[in-house]
Amino acid sequence: MICEKCNREIGPEELTCPYCGHENPFAAKHSQNMKQFKRTYQKTKDEVLDSAKNTSELAKKAAILIVLVIGCIIMSVISSYNYSDHDPDEEIRRDAEKNAAIYVSQAQDYLKRGEYTEYMSFLYAHELQNFPPQEFDHLRHVNYVVSEYYECIRHMEEIVLRSDDPEYFDGLDSDIKIFCMYANGFYEVYEVQKESEKNKEYLACIEDMKTELEAAMRTYFSMNDDELREFIAASEAQKAVKLEEIFRHE
Amino acid sequence: MNKAVKVILNILIVIAGLAFLGLFIDMVGSFKYANREVEDPAETRKDVFEYELKHRAYNEVLGTWYVERMSSLEPSSGMEDIYNVAEYAHSAFMARVYAEKNDGSAIGSNADRMETVKKRLGDYAYTADEVDNIIKKAP
Repeated sequence: MICEKCNREIGPEELTCPYCGHENPFAAKHSQNMKQFKRTYQKTKDEVLDSAKNTSELAKKAAILIVLVIGCIIMSVISSYNYSDHDPDEEIRRDAEKNAAIYVSQAQDYLKRGEYTEYMSFLYAHELQNFPPQEFDHLRHVNYVVSEYYECIRHMEEIVLRSDDPEYFDGLDSDIKIFCMYANGFYEVYEVQKESEKNKEYLACIEDMKTELEAAMRTYFSMNDDELREFIAASEAQKAVKLEEIFRHE
Repeated sequence: MNKAVKVILNILIVIAGLAFLGLFIDMVGSFKYANREVEDPAETRKDVFEYELKHRAYNEVLGTWYVERMSSLEPSSGMEDIYNVAEYAHSAFMARVYAEKNDGSAIGSNADRMETVKKRLGDYAYTADEVDNIIKKAP
């Protein structure tokens, strides 16, 4: 800048001209401005630092909170996993899905051989009765009949082979009641399924199950054909009364 | 504003801390639960089986067999005798049914199965005679 008096070049911060001693009004103002600026700068700096400190504190707390929440989530997942009783049949179901083609052929072999209770046990053991894969769709209808047949034979066996020891629990009444329920169920399902076009392939099996069940009833209930017909036509309660008479020799 | 946020954060941290502590205790408990010793039912089942045989309650043995076979066609450890006795009882029952039905092939294969199972009965061979006797006399 130039001195107003001697027109020589002087520095902007020189309060007087080093050549002529004239005052430099710009430098005075500049000095004042610089003081003001330094104050403002210091204030802003303090505010920024303060704010940064506060933000950092908040960030730390937020981080702690996030860590705690994540920890809670992880621990609750671990706890749920540990407390859950894993389904032991899950693996069996996966195996059934994987080997459905093999199992369907094995199941059909049981049916062909007339081993109906074994067939049903096979389906249950491989979870194919409750969760049948697609490959078992064509067996769905015949399964209704086999299932009832299976329960009839099972409960008939339990009636026949019950304990003759008078000191042992006598569950004959409930066994008879359950058998009569399944016997009625068998004939209801049989009537529907024998007419079904879907069971054409297994009609012989369905008829064979009926023949076998009736042979079992004739044998173990000491019935001739007429008595058996009458027994089959009877209601659940009448069947139960009849069986009570037979097995209690009343 | 900052102060309010700080207070809220502090409260949340305390709540999360307590939840953390509670869940930690729960997790420790869950490991104990997961590693608990599961009682082997085979021993108890064996005692019940002996009791049932003592009273000739073959219906109960058969009932167990039917239930067990819903899970596995092969006997699990300790269940072999129950499977053998029940399989013999089932075959003996079916023998009379096949005879009444006059099904030659079923009679033959069932008789073979009865013979095979009978050989496996071992100490429980006497049950075959008891079952045969009950079946013969029924109803």
